[in-house]
Amino acid sequence: MYPFASLPENLAAFCEALRQEHGFRIGPGELQDAARVLDVVDLANERAIRHALRPILAGTLDDVAVFDAAFTRFFFPAPAGVPQDQLPSTRREPGTDPDGRETDATHARHAPSSGADADEATGLSGGPMTPIESTGDALEEAAIFAPSNYSALDANASDAPELPRIEQAWCDAARVFVRRLHLGVSRRWRPASRGRRFDLRRTLRAGLQTGGEALSARWLRRPRHAPRIVLLVDGSRSMSAYAQTALTVAVALASATLRVEVFTFSTRLQRVTVDVRRAAVGELRRLDRLHHAWAGGTAIGACLRDFLRRFGERMVGRDTVVMIASDGLDVGVPDMLRDAMRELHRRSAGVVWLNPLLETEGYEPTAVGMSAALPYVTTFTSINDQAGLARLSRLVHLRR
Amino acid sequence: MMDAATIHDRFRERGFIVDEAFATALQIMLALEKPLLIEGPAGVGKTESAKVLAEVLGTDVIRLQCYEGLDAMAALYEWNYPRQMLHARLSEAEGSSLEEREAYMFSDKFLLKRPLLDAITRDRSPVLLIDEVDRADEAFEAFLLEVLAEWQVTIPELGTIRARHTPHVILTSNRTRELSDALRRRCLFVWLPYPSLRQEIEILHARVPGLSDRLAQQIAQVMEALRSLPLQKAPGVAESLDWALALISLHREHLDAPTLERTLGCVLKVHEDRGVMQAHHAALDPILGDVPANPESGGYRLDTDFGIGSVSAPRR
Repeated sequence: MYPFASLPENLAAFCEALRQEHGFRIGPGELQDAARVLDVVDLANERAIRHALRPILAGTLDDVAVFDAAFTRFFFPAPAGVPQDQLPSTRREPGTDPDGRETDATHARHAPSSGADADEATGLSGGPMTPIESTGDALEEAAIFAPSNYSALDANASDAPELPRIEQAWCDAARVFVRRLHLGVSRRWRPASRGRRFDLRRTLRAGLQTGGEALSARWLRRPRHAPRIVLLVDGSRSMSAYAQTALTVAVALASATLRVEVFTFSTRLQRVTVDVRRAAVGELRRLDRLHHAWAGGTAIGACLRDFLRRFGERMVGRDTVVMIASDGLDVGVPDMLRDAMRELHRRSAGVVWLNPLLETEGYEPTAVGMSAALPYVTTFTSINDQAGLARLSRLVHLRR
Repeated sequence: MMDAATIHDRFRERGFIVDEAFATALQIMLALEKPLLIEGPAGVGKTESAKVLAEVLGTDVIRLQCYEGLDAMAALYEWNYPRQMLHARLSEAEGSSLEEREAYMFSDKFLLKRPLLDAITRDRSPVLLIDEVDRADEAFEAFLLEVLAEWQVTIPELGTIRARHTPHVILTSNRTRELSDALRRRCLFVWLPYPSLRQEIEILHARVPGLSDRLAQQIAQVMEALRSLPLQKAPGVAESLDWALALISLHREHLDAPTLERTLGCVLKVHEDRGVMQAHHAALDPILGDVPANPESGGYRLDTDFGIGSVSAPRR
């Protein structure tokens, strides 16, 4: 029936399958907890076991989304109603059911840097706890988005962009930029040699050295807010010349601060933060597997809305500077772009739009998409060298 | 040891409806003595579940509300310096020895216990609720990890204090930022979604006595429909309860379009969402549709409304 005879071996094999196929982070500690919990619950009740193992083995919402399908495939490989006489193979090709059906949830997890991608399928439908519905929802979700997959100018896999190796000058410029982004001060008090508030506790403590008399005063000060940055790079064909510069900026920013998230979009949105961070520490990275997030047409409005829906809650706050590198030549509905921009503007500290066309003599932002977005842009400019990036911090006016 | 069904029943007695998955998560959290991280949309009862758990276990709940700028001192302990200084000045004349005075000054009497220290020095395990942990900054998260792993606190003047009884820890997060993997690994994880239609009706009946079946049904249906719309701020369970109370205080026995319009402030908290709702009116009409819209239909009208919907017995 099962690959191994004893319960602990089967459990270990299941954990191994979760690790291999879905990238779960399961260590010996989790495995041990899982074994302990099987003592607690009713082993005859399959649902109870699911519910008991899920909190231990699935650590994030993404994991929760795929857990039930994985559980079913491992322990009940045959379709419902058929006697379970087949051994489940632990090394199955990911993404296919034994009955040949493509499981969408699995698929989503294997898309590049899909760290947080799978969650909207479950976060909105609210069904991750119910084992059967969740895959259904995921399939439905895919169906809804299918039309936007195909653009007149479809992507070509061969021209995957390479993340540039950056020079020191770019790093310095990015550091200057991040340092100069003023977001006011945090609510926290930190010890400092000079500060606004007297630190009685440390002063008395320091007094021990001077025989109990508090001779040297200690102070507290409020540290500055470190800004978060979200950079959305338009990778559509019309941007091809400038996109490389935008990616350079992305890598430079990633080298200057950890609080940066990078996305590319064309007709679809793709998170590339992980690759960009790797590139920032000197690794040579090619952004392959971008699919529809590179070198296609442009659907800025749809992509921004997608971004807000999937990542907005976590990544855009009052301390976030949103930077969009795009020429604003949108083929989508301008209303959608306007709504997305209004929302971005409302929730962030400021929206910076980097438009390469500004370099062109006599350019006016009159394109439908651009003029729809413009009222919600805090800073409208273009940069193409290190000095430009360093200078940008002076142009950015943040709310606070 | 409580099993999931017992937990479900005990919670239900206190007006909190848990589904099987969540009840099992609570069960294994108690069995394994590990912290439970609850994530989910706002207003589904994450914080409330900790309070109810404490009631069920018959212990106290100690709440640490996280906020930006929360630091170790505010979470652990502080010496009451002004009081110590005062005491030092006043006791100068006394003849006690230096050691005695020192030992007295750094005793429990001058120690201000903050939630984390409080939680580990109780005589029986309390429920420690670490609320909205995503609001605290990363540095605090690292500190929290240390406490959750060791259950001991070192105070230089007093020595190391070990937990006599490990608290039952519940962490909640609204996902305003990503939590670190390290924190996730220390915890059991459960996602608390919006309740299903049936569950929501059950919750409404449990929490709002005197609510008619029909109104509960309508509220739950409208809520379900609203949550499927692309709203900026989707209404949670807290909103449905508020709304039910509001409708009862207005003596409404059923929901119609004008009533919805008038009490919308209980449900939608962002102005733009009103527009979204009006644009998707088709989704709501069938729910309100079975009653002809009558703008004057205020109050309790015997002649039209003495149907099955208006007969209700207070529950619980």
